[in-house]
Amino acid sequence: MSDDEGGGDDDQDADTDHEAEDFPGIDTGSDSEVGSEESEEDEEDEVSEEEEEDESEEDEDPSEEGDSGSDSAIHIFPRVKSTISNITGRPKRVYPEIEPDYESDSSIEDDPNRIGNIPLHWYDDLPHIGYDINGKRILRPAKGDELDKFLETMEDPASWTSAFDKNTQMNKPLTAEELEIIHRLQLGENPDAAYDPYEPTVEWFTGKGKEEIMPLSAAPEPKRRWLPSKWEKQKIMKIVRAIRQGRIVGSKPKTAQNTPQFYAIWNEPASNQPPPLPAPKLPPPTHAESYNPPEEYLPTEAERKEWENAEPEDRERDFIPQKYAALRLVPGYEQFIKDRFSRQLDLYLAPRVQRKKLNIDPNSLLPKLPSPSSLRPFPTYQSLKVIHPGSRVRCVSVSPDGAWVVSGDETGVVYLWEVIVGREVKRWVLDSKIGAIEWCPRTDVSYFVVSVEDKLLFIVPPNLPSAILSSTQNALTPAPLPPPTTSPIKWASTSRVEDDIMLTITLPAISGLSKQITWHRRGDYLASVCAYLLLSLVLCLVYRPPSPASNESQVWIHQVSRRHSQAPFKKIKGTIQLVLFHPIKPHFFVATQQYVRLYDLMQQKLIKTLMPGIKWISSMDIHPSGDHVIVGGYDRKLCWFDLELSEKPYKILRYHSRAIRSLHFHPTYPLFASSSDDGSIQVFHSRVYNDLTTDPLIVPLKILRGHDVNDGLGVLQVKWANKQPWLVSAGADGKVVVWCSSS
Amino acid sequence: MGRLRKKGKAGAAKAYMTRSTAVKKLQCSLADFRRLCILKGIFPREPRNKKKANKGSTAPTSFYYAKDIAYLLHEPVLNKLRDHKAFAKKISRALGRGEWSIAKHLEEQKPSYKLDHIIKERYPTFIDAVRDIDDALCMIFLFASLPANDRVSAALVANCSRLAAEWQLYIMHSRSLKKVFLSIKGIYYQADVMDQNVTWLVPYQFTQNVPSDVDVRVMLTFLELYQTLLGFVFFKLYTDAGLIYPPPLDTTRDEAGAGIGAFSLQVADRKVAALEPNNTAKKASSKEVRQAIKSIATGKSPTGRVESMDVVDDPPKATEVDEEFVPHPSANDSSPTASLPTLQSLSSVPRSNSSSLFSPYTFFLSREVSRPVFEFLIRSFGGRVGWPVSSGSGSPFTESDESITHVVIDRPAVTRNNESCEGNEQKGKRKDVQPQWVVDCINAGRILLEDLYRQGATLPPHLSPFDAKPGAYDPTAPLSEDESGASIHEENEEVGGAESESEEVKGGTKEAVPVHVDAESLRAAELAAEVAGVEYDEFQTEVKKLQTTRRGVGGKTAKRCDEEDMSKVLLSNKKRKLYERMKHSQRKQAAEHDALKEKRKKIDRQKRQSAR
Repeated sequence: MSDDEGGGDDDQDADTDHEAEDFPGIDTGSDSEVGSEESEEDEEDEVSEEEEEDESEEDEDPSEEGDSGSDSAIHIFPRVKSTISNITGRPKRVYPEIEPDYESDSSIEDDPNRIGNIPLHWYDDLPHIGYDINGKRILRPAKGDELDKFLETMEDPASWTSAFDKNTQMNKPLTAEELEIIHRLQLGENPDAAYDPYEPTVEWFTGKGKEEIMPLSAAPEPKRRWLPSKWEKQKIMKIVRAIRQGRIVGSKPKTAQNTPQFYAIWNEPASNQPPPLPAPKLPPPTHAESYNPPEEYLPTEAERKEWENAEPEDRERDFIPQKYAALRLVPGYEQFIKDRFSRQLDLYLAPRVQRKKLNIDPNSLLPKLPSPSSLRPFPTYQSLKVIHPGSRVRCVSVSPDGAWVVSGDETGVVYLWEVIVGREVKRWVLDSKIGAIEWCPRTDVSYFVVSVEDKLLFIVPPNLPSAILSSTQNALTPAPLPPPTTSPIKWASTSRVEDDIMLTITLPAISGLSKQITWHRRGDYLASVCAYLLLSLVLCLVYRPPSPASNESQVWIHQVSRRHSQAPFKKIKGTIQLVLFHPIKPHFFVATQQYVRLYDLMQQKLIKTLMPGIKWISSMDIHPSGDHVIVGGYDRKLCWFDLELSEKPYKILRYHSRAIRSLHFHPTYPLFASSSDDGSIQVFHSRVYNDLTTDPLIVPLKILRGHDVNDGLGVLQVKWANKQPWLVSAGADGKVVVWCSSS
Repeated sequence: MGRLRKKGKAGAAKAYMTRSTAVKKLQCSLADFRRLCILKGIFPREPRNKKKANKGSTAPTSFYYAKDIAYLLHEPVLNKLRDHKAFAKKISRALGRGEWSIAKHLEEQKPSYKLDHIIKERYPTFIDAVRDIDDALCMIFLFASLPANDRVSAALVANCSRLAAEWQLYIMHSRSLKKVFLSIKGIYYQADVMDQNVTWLVPYQFTQNVPSDVDVRVMLTFLELYQTLLGFVFFKLYTDAGLIYPPPLDTTRDEAGAGIGAFSLQVADRKVAALEPNNTAKKASSKEVRQAIKSIATGKSPTGRVESMDVVDDPPKATEVDEEFVPHPSANDSSPTASLPTLQSLSSVPRSNSSSLFSPYTFFLSREVSRPVFEFLIRSFGGRVGWPVSSGSGSPFTESDESITHVVIDRPAVTRNNESCEGNEQKGKRKDVQPQWVVDCINAGRILLEDLYRQGATLPPHLSPFDAKPGAYDPTAPLSEDESGASIHEENEEVGGAESESEEVKGGTKEAVPVHVDAESLRAAELAAEVAGVEYDEFQTEVKKLQTTRRGVGGKTAKRCDEEDMSKVLLSNKKRKLYERMKHSQRKQAAEHDALKEKRKKIDRQKRQSAR
């Protein structure tokens, strides 16, 4: 409210003032149009209050009335007059004097009731709200119900500007000042309208003409105000010195750091360390990579398809040759980055191995050997063959004079035929499979031994000259028969002249078929090896035969002249595969599955164990000189032992592609042959020197092919003819072949 | 009793280390380990026995030498990588908190490593480095042609193209290019630098796209090393040649697309070269460069002589330059490289004719010919070369120049009726050749006949100058007499004449008698002989002879096979395996050889038929 409205303002003025205030939402028109009695009364109250206030203000400073109205603010402080002092001649303020009358205090304000400033909740459950000056209760004004309240708000347009007054316990309309204050608070302004936050500063103590003349203290000005600091200087000089000496280096400009500086790095001597190996270079491009290659490099349709179907790592080339008519037609290569990347992966991820590249002719690796043609004679071609129809020929033997051959097959048929023409002289049909056949090496007699079942049959060939026949008969059936021994082996002479079987040795029934028969050089002793093992095991478990030592022996040595058989070993470790008599000394070779043992028969002790390193020994033979042994195995190895040297093989050869089946040294020529399940026979030249310093010479001479492989079995036995360089071989295909040397 | 030996304390168990243990030992991430391996050139090894090297496990792992890893432990770059890790943490923290000034300060202090010591370590001598720059050059040329993107920064591409240009400049200056091969993958070049054959492959000028399955980080790490390596190598090459490195770049020319021409070779000042001690070389050269740039700007040449490449290539001036360089920077010091033959000493040796192959000629490149490639080729063999404006600026002469002897053109020939007589006259002097002619001349070492390569002609096959293994198939060699026997006889038949006819019949009989003689073909041959008037007896003897020879051939091969088998018997296992491997490769080569020959015969026959 401004002062200049004055006391003379009527109601209308007040209304316009309201309007001018621009209080939002005040419906000024509603006052005049629809005025209820209550509201009129309220307004009158309001006006009267205002009048009172105005009057009081008027009374306070009537002198202001005539002013231009510049002081429009509500005065918290009493109004100040500024006059010029008579004494100092300066302007001075004169404050109005405070009059000690009632008006100056608010205590005379008309109060509707005088219950005092007490907490009204004390009267919450009482019908009155306090006491008046006379001590009478002031009753609580009637409170309308909710409906009345609602009607009141609807009917009275000023009801929303009224607030509940605790003292009177009823709604009272707010005054315009109060509304003004609320409005300012709502706007976030200072509630006092007269407050100016941007008042010009009033310089009370400073400014022109108000300087302090008198000092506050008498202390002299300190030196630090006008002298530079010594210690600071020292600190700074320290830094400066450090910078000058290069101890403090400022951060370098960034651009200089980024660009690499190059200098003569290789002018300094290199370190002593050897340089790392350079990375392998990529192979140079070939003609096929040209943009315009010769036409033969272009792939055919099939090759292209094959290339496309192959995995990238399986391809021989990583590109397909293409031909372009001109350079301008050549497109960019899509795989370029991929190629570079894979090269880099190779450089840092692939393990490298240094490999020596041999730039030599592979043929220079082959040993220098005398040519086979200079080592003649040796068998080169197949001169004839004899066929055992429909069965495997297991064994073959050549007579000592080299004119006759006996061959026995699995059906039990034994043929006797001539070496030169292949004419069959006689055939014996025996009961079952033939295990082994061997001619007696004596030249003054002529017979051979055949093993069938558990028997050894001594057969005399037909058409012998009478002298030889008689001596043979004498040898087999000497006139005074030696006394029978208590051996489990039965010797029996048979007079079955039609079979030509002169003598039969019956081994113990459990021993089974003899796999091998071998003669001593003199022709009096022969040794036989039985396929005994499994049978003996079974029998041991079931029967417990009374004299196992004698009965279970696998090897028997038979003496023909005395008709005596003996088992040389009581017990031997491992299964015996083969046995051999030493050609000169009274020694005896026994090959078990993996070892070859050499026994002295006279002293009855073990001399040596040869270790060929073969998994399963299949065959063995000894050189006629008695110093060298060859051992063949089912694992394709052939070992040459020099008995004078160590127990390990002097030479190991592996050339057959299948198991070695049989080996044989030629009795007179420096030859030996091996046969294998791959159907081939390999002939070697094997020269043995008398002086101990020279190693034996082994030269492969010839591969003889001609046998067929039947059920995985090839050539089962090879035997040399005694006096000629001829070879007789027996195969699983039923053929017995004679190989002769060409002149 | 000796001391007890514990398992895993000696031998392969100690000498090898798996990758994961190596990473653990170095206390770095796998990516850092890979980066180190690339930079230091450490690669996995294959132990003899994996089980022994890996504590009894045979799981597939890669092994490294434990000593290699021990060297890595002291590597300064490893420390820098660790610093970088800390830096990355700090800066991400600063950025996350919005502390921009701290982040900026950190960014300025970003740790970066130098690879100088690694270069020295991996390549103790200069020759070692030159021997191993093949891959580096390939990568540089590849990245010079890549488009810059967020993975490959523009600065990198610019640096690569600068290095590529510097290398080409050097090759042109030293005239050391030897072989060129246009393949479908790109262009192979081979140069003879410091007696080392340096081969590099440059892709054709097409936009390359980096495939998604390629790890660009790996390539960039390699590139980091290669850039440093090439920088040092080029520095040495340039200073040895008496040139200033880096050659100043003329930006205005570069922007006009001058390519290599934007660089100018600058001869190093004699005094500076003489005074320059080893370790101040860097400073001096940078000063030089600044001076040179200044001189370019002002148009004067105060200290060094600025020559454009054209002047350098000019033969008389080049010799003059050679005479001037008496003191040589690297000849003064006693480093081992000084004893090596420098370019100067080499250039005093009379050059072979091939290095100035094109010097009497002037070439003009037609607009469809790739200018950078052929400019490089022709100028490295001493020729002058010009090009139209459409291929870039800086051409020393225009198309109308009188001195042009050859026009390299790669367009199909178009017959024009109304040609101006002046054009005809010009055409008469100039020779149109296809681009392959240039390359084939270089590889042949002499000027080939232009007729085969004239515009629009079907080109003779382009052969690789690198593919000259002894015993390999040679496409240039003519088919031998007996191989093309039949064809020769056919030709004879065309010529006619009684003698030749009888010969032809003999040839015919030879063809007619197969190995397994079947009656029909024999009778047919008989009839043919009768027609030709050959006596029956004569015919019979002929047939018999043939049969025996054929059989003999068959028998001989079988015999040889047997002999080989037998001689292998006595070989030891190791030697036999070696022998068989060698034989296998020989057989494979022979098979390839035969297949190519067969194909060629077939193609020849088809051609002859179509010609008829």
